[in-house]
Amino acid sequence: MSVSGRLSEFSLGEIFQLLERGQKTGLLTIRAAHSPAEPLQNFYLWFKQGQILAAANRLDYKGLATLLYQREWLGEHSKMLLVEAFKSNRPLGLYLKYQKLLNAEQLKLLFYTQVIRQVCTIFQFSEGWFNFETKTELPLAEMTGLSAVPLNVTLEGLRALRDWRSLSKKLPAPNSAITSLIVGNPQLKINPVEWQVWEFANGTEPLTVIAEQLQLPLGKIQQIAFRLMMVGLIEEVPLVVSKPSKAPEIEIQNPELITPNHKPISQSFLHNLAVFLGSRSIH
Amino acid sequence: MEVMRLVVTGPVGAGKSTFIRSVSEIEVVDTDRQATDETANLKAKTTVAFDFGRLQFGPDMALHLYGTPGQARFDFMWNILIQKAHAYMLLVAAHRSDEFYYARRILNFIKQRSQIPMIIGLTYTDSPDAWDEETISLALGYTHAGQHPPIIAVDARQRASVAQAVLTLVQHLMQSQGCLV
Repeated sequence: MSVSGRLSEFSLGEIFQLLERGQKTGLLTIRAAHSPAEPLQNFYLWFKQGQILAAANRLDYKGLATLLYQREWLGEHSKMLLVEAFKSNRPLGLYLKYQKLLNAEQLKLLFYTQVIRQVCTIFQFSEGWFNFETKTELPLAEMTGLSAVPLNVTLEGLRALRDWRSLSKKLPAPNSAITSLIVGNPQLKINPVEWQVWEFANGTEPLTVIAEQLQLPLGKIQQIAFRLMMVGLIEEVPLVVSKPSKAPEIEIQNPELITPNHKPISQSFLHNLAVFLGSRSIH
Repeated sequence: MEVMRLVVTGPVGAGKSTFIRSVSEIEVVDTDRQATDETANLKAKTTVAFDFGRLQFGPDMALHLYGTPGQARFDFMWNILIQKAHAYMLLVAAHRSDEFYYARRILNFIKQRSQIPMIIGLTYTDSPDAWDEETISLALGYTHAGQHPPIIAVDARQRASVAQAVLTLVQHLMQSQGCLV
C-alpha cells in the first residue's frame, strides 16, 4: 500500500489517525517546510501496527547512534558495539540495555528526543507532502525498542501548535455540533479546558454556543474540538445552517415532500428494478 | 405510480451530476436553472439547486435520483432530500484526499438524521493518485475492518458502471428489508 498527498490537504493528525486505526506497518516520509519560500526538510517515521517505533531526519540509519555519541553513552568501544548490535538483530536501544550500557530512564530520554520532540516539530510545518510505504524493513539501528501511540503524540503536537492557519480548512465549522465517539469518560489524559468542551459532545449545541457558554474565543473552541476529533474522542456533526421558516428560499407546494418517508418500497418493485439494472449493467 | 427516491451525495467534483446524467432517461434537471413537471413540487426561487434524474422501468414504477447541492453548507434542502430518500449513495473521488474530510462530514450529517441504507461509490479509482478502498474507508471514519457499508468503484461516465452501482445499492436495500437478493 502506498498513500501520498499534500500536508495542506491531509494534515499530520489525520495521517496519524489513519495509520493507527488501520494498524499500519511501514515508513512515513514527510518533506515539509514552514512556508513555500523555505527549502523542504525530510522526516522519516517508522510504524509497526499503527504505533510509532522510530523517527529520523536521515535515511542512513545513523540517527540514533549520533544521539548516543552526542551524549557519550557508547563508551570507548562504540564501533564494535554497533557492529555487535547489528549482528544481534535487535533494536539498538534494547541491545544496549541488555548489555547494561543503558538503563530504562536513558532509553526513555532517547526515545523522547528522537521521536516525540521531532514529531511535535513536524506539526508546525504547513507546506509539503507525505508518502506512506508499506514495503519497508524495520530500522533496528534507529529503534530504541520503545513505541509511541500516535494519538498521544497528536494531542501533544496540536497542543503545542501556535500557527493554525494551515489547518483552518480542517477545523469544525462554527455552526457544527460535536458528538462523543466513546462510551463513558475519556481514557486519554485531556486537560481541563478540553474536558469542558468534551462535556458539550451531545450533538446539539453549535460551537458558537459552546464558545459563549465557556466564555472562550470561537477559534479556540474550534482548535480544541479539532484536537479531540483527531484523537477519536468526538466527531463533528454539521447542523442545518438555515431553516425555511426563517428565511424561505424555496416554496414547498406539496407538503408530502417535507414529511419523512416511512413507507418501504415493495419487494416486487425492488425485484423489477434489480432485474432492469442488471440488464443495463452488462457492457 | 410507485417511486423510489435515491439521493446521490458527495463532495464537489466526485461526479454526482455525471452519475445521475448517465443513468437518467430524461435530461438531468438542475433546479437552479429551471423547473419541470418532475420538480414542480419544489419551486425554486433563488439559488437552491440540486440535480434531478428519472428512470422509469415499468408502467407504474420509477426511480428518482436526486443530487445534493454542491455547496459546502448544509441547508434545509439537505434535510428535505434525506428525509424523503429511501437510500443514498456517497460518491467520493478516490484521488482527492483533501475532500475525504468533507465526505466524512456529509456522512455524519446524514447519519444523525436518517438510518436509511447507503453505499459508497469510489470514482477516479484509476487515477495514479487514487487511494485504495481500505484506506479511504478508514479516512471516512470506518475504523473496524468489515464494518463499513458496501464500497464499489464506479465510472460516473459509463452507464453500465452507474447501473451496476445503483444495482448494488438496491441489493443492499433489499437485504436491509429482509428480501432475498
